[in-house]
Amino acid sequence: MLDLSQQDWTAVLLSLRIATVATLVSLPFGIAVGYVQARKQFWGKSLFDAVIFLPLVMPPVVTGYLLLITLGRRAPVGSFLADHFGIVFSFRWTGAALACGIMAFPLMVRAIRLSIEAIDIRLEDAAGTLGANRTWAFLTITLPLMLPGVIAGMMLAFARALGEFGATITFVSNIPGETQTISAAIYTLTQVPGGDRLALQLVVVAVIISLVALVLSEWFARRAGARLHGN
Amino acid sequence: MFKRLPVILAFVAAFAFAPHIAAAQETLTVFAAASMKNALDDADATFTRTSGVKVTASYAASSALAKQIEQGAPADVFISADLKWMDYVAGKNLIKPDTRVNLLGNRLVLIAPADSKIGSVKIGQGFDIAKLAGSGRIAVADVKAVPAGLYAKAALEKLGSWAAAEPKLAQAENVRATLAFVARGETPLGIVYETDAKIEPKVKIVGAFPADSHPPVTYPVAVTASSKNAATARYLAFLRSSAAKAIFEKYGFSFLIKPVS
Amino acid sequence: MLTINVEKRLGDFALDVSFASEGGATVLFGRSGAGKTSIVNMIAGMVRPDRGRIVIDGETLFDSDARIDVPAWRRRIGYVFQEGRLFPHLSVRHNLDYGRWMNGRARDDAAFNHIAELLDIGPLLDRRPGKLSGGERQRVAVGRALLTQPRLLLLDEPLAALDADRKREILPYFERLRDEAKVPMIYVSHDAMEVKRIATHVVRLDGGRVETTGGADLLSDVMPRESGASSNP
Repeated sequence: MLDLSQQDWTAVLLSLRIATVATLVSLPFGIAVGYVQARKQFWGKSLFDAVIFLPLVMPPVVTGYLLLITLGRRAPVGSFLADHFGIVFSFRWTGAALACGIMAFPLMVRAIRLSIEAIDIRLEDAAGTLGANRTWAFLTITLPLMLPGVIAGMMLAFARALGEFGATITFVSNIPGETQTISAAIYTLTQVPGGDRLALQLVVVAVIISLVALVLSEWFARRAGARLHGN
Repeated sequence: MFKRLPVILAFVAAFAFAPHIAAAQETLTVFAAASMKNALDDADATFTRTSGVKVTASYAASSALAKQIEQGAPADVFISADLKWMDYVAGKNLIKPDTRVNLLGNRLVLIAPADSKIGSVKIGQGFDIAKLAGSGRIAVADVKAVPAGLYAKAALEKLGSWAAAEPKLAQAENVRATLAFVARGETPLGIVYETDAKIEPKVKIVGAFPADSHPPVTYPVAVTASSKNAATARYLAFLRSSAAKAIFEKYGFSFLIKPVS
Repeated sequence: MLTINVEKRLGDFALDVSFASEGGATVLFGRSGAGKTSIVNMIAGMVRPDRGRIVIDGETLFDSDARIDVPAWRRRIGYVFQEGRLFPHLSVRHNLDYGRWMNGRARDDAAFNHIAELLDIGPLLDRRPGKLSGGERQRVAVGRALLTQPRLLLLDEPLAALDADRKREILPYFERLRDEAKVPMIYVSHDAMEVKRIATHVVRLDGGRVETTGGADLLSDVMPRESGASSNP
């Protein structure tokens, strides 16, 4: 039924891996930003919120291009990182993970922010009267209550990262085994004579994975609601 | 379920951050023009069989590849579909000049979908390609940068067909995307290399552009300056061998040098 | 045991109060908006006064001149909120244990069982707050605050969200706290009926200032249902 080649399965595994890394690494930032957006007020907050949201509304190719001219090997930040720390993003799977992470970030932050906003802040005050300092109150009250929302955000980000194409291909191009994700593999196959059949098979794989991620995200989001109401 | 969450997360993290399953074999990265795909895949397979070196090939328009190399892409070998883009990277000292070789040649052809009513045409001075396309468009590669598009534009200009053809062009990202347009019947005509037309059963060649209507289609090969890969010498030697010659000629490329082995 | 002398500006309303409490049940009584909840929040450490001093059992919790402000989690003052504020993701048992857990104290089954019995919350231990009635929630909230072994218990209109029957049902528990458990309380209320039963000492507030202080007899001139408004401060 499925007669995908070694290279095609490599693309699937690479996509899963890149999406996983992108999601896990952006998680602490997602929680931090979500918390700040939900609980803090400061001068310039609207601008801050808009910038966070930007990757969602800008053309993905623009995001990829911006990454290329700042983090490319010969670009200012990129060459600094490469020369002093040996960290290279361009044309590496790490760059793909970075691009996917950035593109998926607004979705993750939004889900987390909403879940924190739904938590009564007075619960944290109550924890304080019981002897919990700010950190413990966050870890024992806020975090568990927002956890299902965090997981929902992670699944959503994962699904988005999995399907990322425009920013990725602009920033890290299409190198099989290194940066050729499912999307890039499908795209390549559409240009191969007789490649439609294989392209469709990959499409099916991609759709199945995305559907599973989205269904799980929905399930966790609903659990978040139930948990918050003490059920 | 949540009690098991830390375990699940640990498992996921291990998968994500596990180092690339290191192949015990050597690898080589080639950036090659899109039109080389089938022939080069075939040649690379032979090379891997005989030398044990795994070849990873990234195919795209030569223009895109040259820009990527300029940005620091980790290619060991670059095969361009024209001299312009090889000169471009050479000018930026991105290749090892003493490894550069003009390896292959090709021809520019006019194609139509296999079931098209268009029969053979003679392409000469004053060739009315716009009329032939009728209400449809003519698929070409990006005429501003991609070699296949540059050759197509040069040919149409030389033949006096450019002015009428230009507004009817459907430009694609590279020559294989161009080929796909015609194969799917999206456009009634397209301009690609002869080698591309030969591997796509859904298109037929309806005409050949005269060799003097455009600069000769030449595929230079070179090792990149940043490459520290010891296998490049063997690879280039292979590309210049008669074994490789046979493979490339089978696909319709012309072999421009005398084979070295 | 508690001496408080604070000033705070709240919008266009100025709070300036000074009183002391020797234990027992001190009721802060007054109309809605008289600043009662703000005072209690300042004692708890959740709101910072503009100026003043708060001292409990000789320990200074707040002193604006000396720049002392002990954070809420170190004051060892329990707080029963009007809406309970039980943690929805924890069972009743874990809610009760929360304070002990936060202070790293060892299990004390005797104390736990005693409080559970005092407040009749034994049968509720494995339920989640979402499945409790209003009266049950408040009792658990009291138990949770008590199990931190506070030196002072603050109660901010703890019965306001309950109907008359519930109030009558729970009031005896507070009397038990006062008489049997001997927990010093600061009890906020605008309901004279509650106050008359609970108070050993009354601080009557009006317009952000202490109008008068005295014993429970201070309220003999107040009709049973007197209150400032039906809304809460």
